[in-house]
Order: sequence, then C-alpha cells, then structure tokens
Amino acid sequence: MDALLQSVASGVVTGSIYALVALSLVIIFKSTEVVNFGGGDVAMVGAYVGLFAIVFLELPYPYAFALAAVGLFVMGIAFEWGVLRTVVGGVDPSRVLISLVIATLGLSYVLRGAVRLFNYTDEVRRLPTFFRAPPIFLGPVILQYQDIIIVGISCALMAILYVFFQHTLFGKGLRATSMNAKAAQLIGIPTGAMRLFAWGIACALAAIAGVLIGSKLPMTPDFGSQVVLLAFAAAIIGGFSSLPGCIVGGILLGVVQNLVGLFVSSSATALAPFLVIMVVLIVRPQGLFGGRVAIKKV
Amino acid sequence: MVGSLSLRIVVGSALALALSLVIAPVAPEYYLHLANNLIIFAVLALGLDLLMGWAGQFALAHPAFFAIGCYGTALLNLKLGVPFVIAMPVSAVLAGLLGLLVGIPATRMRNIYLSLATFAFAESMRWVLNSWDSLTGGPNGIRISPFNLFGYGIINDIDAFPVIVLLFLMILAATIYLTTSRFSREMLAIRESEHVALASGVDVTQVKLKVFAISAVYAGLAGGMFALTHSFTNPDQFGFATSIVVLSMIVVGGMGSIAGVLIGVVIIGLLPEVLRGALKSIQIWQELIYGVILIAAMMFAPKGVWGVLRELWLKTSRTTGDLGKPAGQFEQDGANP
Repeated sequence: MDALLQSVASGVVTGSIYALVALSLVIIFKSTEVVNFGGGDVAMVGAYVGLFAIVFLELPYPYAFALAAVGLFVMGIAFEWGVLRTVVGGVDPSRVLISLVIATLGLSYVLRGAVRLFNYTDEVRRLPTFFRAPPIFLGPVILQYQDIIIVGISCALMAILYVFFQHTLFGKGLRATSMNAKAAQLIGIPTGAMRLFAWGIACALAAIAGVLIGSKLPMTPDFGSQVVLLAFAAAIIGGFSSLPGCIVGGILLGVVQNLVGLFVSSSATALAPFLVIMVVLIVRPQGLFGGRVAIKKV
Repeated sequence: MVGSLSLRIVVGSALALALSLVIAPVAPEYYLHLANNLIIFAVLALGLDLLMGWAGQFALAHPAFFAIGCYGTALLNLKLGVPFVIAMPVSAVLAGLLGLLVGIPATRMRNIYLSLATFAFAESMRWVLNSWDSLTGGPNGIRISPFNLFGYGIINDIDAFPVIVLLFLMILAATIYLTTSRFSREMLAIRESEHVALASGVDVTQVKLKVFAISAVYAGLAGGMFALTHSFTNPDQFGFATSIVVLSMIVVGGMGSIAGVLIGVVIIGLLPEVLRGALKSIQIWQELIYGVILIAAMMFAPKGVWGVLRELWLKTSRTTGDLGKPAGQFEQDGANP
C-alpha cells in the first residue's frame, strides 16, 4: 500500500512535467494545426540553456528558468516566422500539413545537432537540485522538496495559462484563431501574429519543462525523443485539442506508468505510453476531454 | 499486365541484371555494400510512397513490417532451416497480414492521429523485439547465418548483389504496374478527398486496407533483402530513426513518383558517405546538416527534387498548346497536379 501511494505521488510529479510539454504541443496544434515533433528537443535545449545559465553564467535558478523561457520563446517565433511561413506559402493548402510536420522533424534534428556541437554536452549532466532540504513525510509517502517545487511550478504555469487564455484579449484572440482562423481574420484578429505568439509561448513552456526535467533526470542531447513521446501520449489521452485535457492526461500517464512499473515489471514501463496511445486512438480518439468527433466542414 | 510492361522495360531489366552479374566480381566490395543498402532502402521508400505519396495516408508503422521481414526470414532459416526463397516471401506475406491488421483501425483515423497511432505501433513492435529474448535475442539481436540460394551460398555483398538487383527489378516492375493501374487512380482520389472519392464510387475502406497491406509487403521484402546482406541485426535498426530516414527520402526526392523516390533514396542514402568523405570535423555536424536539409527541402522544394526538375522542364518546354501558352502549364500529371 505504501509502495502504491509512493508510486502515485511520484507519478503525479513526472506527470505534471509531461503535462507541460503536452500543453506546448497542444497550444501549437490548436493554433496552427501543426504537430510539433520537435517539442521534446525544444525542452532539451531549454534544459541545456538552463544548465548554461547556472554553470557558466552562475545565475541563480529563477534566472535560469527565465533565460531558457525567453530564449526559446524567441526561437519559436523565429522558427514560425522564418521557416514555417515559407513552407505554408509554397504548397497548396490541402497538402501543407505533411510538409510542416517534416519541417518540425527537421527542427528536432537541427536542435539536437546544434547542442551536440558543444563538447560540453558529450557527458551526461544534471541540473543541480533547487535547494537542499530534508524530504517531507506525508504519511507513508516521502516527498522531496524538489518534487514539490516541480509540481508547484507546473501548477503556477497552468494557472497563468488559464488566466491568459480566459481573461486577456490576446489569449482570447489565440483561442479564436484556433477555433476558426478564417473567421478570426474576418473579425480583425491578426492571425499571423497569433501563430507567432502561439509558437513562442509553446516553446517557452517546453523550455521550462525542460529545465524541470533536467533537474530530475540525467540530461543527454537525446532525451528529447523520449519526452516528446510521453508528451504525445499525455496530449492524446486528454484529447489533442483540450488544454485541461493535457494536464489530466499528463498526470494520468505519469501515475499509470509508475503503477505499471510497480505491478507488471520495470521493462513494461517503456511499453505503457505506446499501448495507451494505440488504445485511446482506437477506442476513443477524441480522448477524455475532446468533443464528439466531427467532420470538418469543407 | 503485358500492356503496362513495355518491351523496353523488359529488355532494360535484363540488361541491368546482366550488368550486375558482370560488375559484381570486379567492383570494390564497399561500393557493392553501399549499392545493396541503397536498393533495400529504395524498396522501403517505394512501399512507403505508395501509402503516403499515392494514398495520402501519413502512417509511420513501416519499421515494424521491415522488422518482421528481416527477423522472420532470419529466424525461419535459423530455427527451422527454411531456405531463403521460401522464408522471404513467407515473411513478406506475414508482414502484409500485419499491415492489413494495422489497416483495420487505421482506415478510421485522420492524418495526425494516424501518424501517432502507427508510430506507437512501430515502437511497440520494437519493444516486443527487445523483450522477447528467447525468440529474438532481445537487445543483443541475432546473428544471421548466410543463406543458400539453390545450393549457391551467399556469403558476402558480392554474391548478394545480383540477387538484390534481380529482386529490386521485380519489385520495380510491380511498382510500375501498380502505379499505372486503375488502383493508382483510386489511391489518388482518396488522397485528394476521401468524401469525393467515396461519392465517386471508390471503395475507400477496401483501397486503404489494400494499400496498407501492400506497403507492408514491400517493407517485409526489404527486410528479407536486409537479412540476405547482413550477418547481424538488432531492434535498433527498426526504430523511429529508420522511419524518418525513409520519410525524408520520399519527401526530399518527390512523393508520388517512382523517379522522385529513387532520387531521394540516392540523395539521402549517400549523404552520410559524402559527409564522411569530407573533413573529419564535419562529422559532428551530421545531424545538424541533416535537419537543415529537411527544413530547406520543405521550404524551397516541397514537391521534392523531382518536383523541381519537372517544373524546370515544364517551364523550358517550347511546345505551345491551343491557347498559345506552353502546353506544360495545363498538363495535369496523374501523380502531382
């Protein structure tokens, strides 16, 4: 029973990180219909930027987060503006999606290649823990301060996003663009700017998630591909178009993964996300929170 | 069948085969090794192109069928002593059946969800290969013993080359037949719009299932060819990286056309060799360069190199049509309007 509770608790922690990356993927998908296969590598770069800030610039932790977030915000905007707009302009709209997705695959390779250029990344690194403190005991469950801070930051970010999307004009504009881009344009919402901003926010989110991952797991230039897979699983569980769904999906995935590891075997944890993806897509493709599966009107 | 396969093609194939028999003993073995690998990827790419370029299904399950073809052929030979000429087709058919199985839920899925579900399937297959130690040797892989072809042992790339060429020519002929048949038009109709295709009398579900199965058979055949030319394999060969390589081959070369796919195979297939031949320090840039090529291809040549070549040809062709404009501007090619 203790092991069960412990599994659930640590599942919530890792799950909230998956949720953040999943949010990044879904924000881009909702605003631009592009699936960002490079999302995990954006997180990876965020982690390394954070590492750079802490180790070389010797900045305190909050600045590391800020630097990673701002840096990748800029990169996201640059990518949408410099690359994706050209891709969209070059092909007829019915077949543009696959080109865009491959462009994001290209982005993932570029990010990985760029990080590998620095010899510093050859060794496996870890970000230092936020601050050293004895673990907290919540009944039978042992919680590291680290984990609590991770969950805290995730919750704070989700709250900020909620306020942003529900109550600010910009956020509402983004939601309008994702619901129906043509209609939004007709009302006067600058959809081009909205797309840029969506990419920027999404990459900043992924960067922060990356720093959080880096503080918990060993960092290598390759961890992006594992992260993106789990983020996809989380987003799919929640329904790829639902932001609260990502959060629920992420936490569910984290918990399920740990439970599978506990009750089945540790090697099965790798299989869990794939099974989840396939089962959900076959049985209930709209996920837990998606609406009825509707055919888009031509 | 005779209608689509002109005499030119048959004679050309016979010549190519004869050429390969002559070249094999004299060419450096490394080049033959490269050629074999390129041909294997060409088969993979042609199969994926049928699914993605012609039928428009963004499915990433290819590596799973590749694995079945390879492991199937190797294990049938290793454990049951089945000769290559039987083992390879059997594994390819098995792959095709699995492709059909995957196709059943896949026909209901749209673009992005389809790609994610098939990706998850391919990774699950890799997990099975990694975990089923007793059968597949797990992460350590299996050693493939050399095959015997009608009593003639295939021990190295030199022996294998003519066989690989022969298999490739047969597969190429089948591809040409497929892409000029009524089936190809049904695939194109589905790619452009499933609803319109359905309204026009195309049995969308049937065609999709067939394409999934056929594409899987291609991958299975490629797997068998891989088993013939390699003495070792392990699950890492059949992961997402392979998917991306094959995908970039067909995208950079040009989807929906055999020539485009083959161009893409050569470009992407020889890229590591070119980079290796350049400065040693370039090696660290490999991934970066690869990503830049993908992005650049999507930005400037979304229809692939073949698309660019065709546009050039259309622009420079001097024949005029009825309206006084170069005929090329109104030409609708079946694969890439």
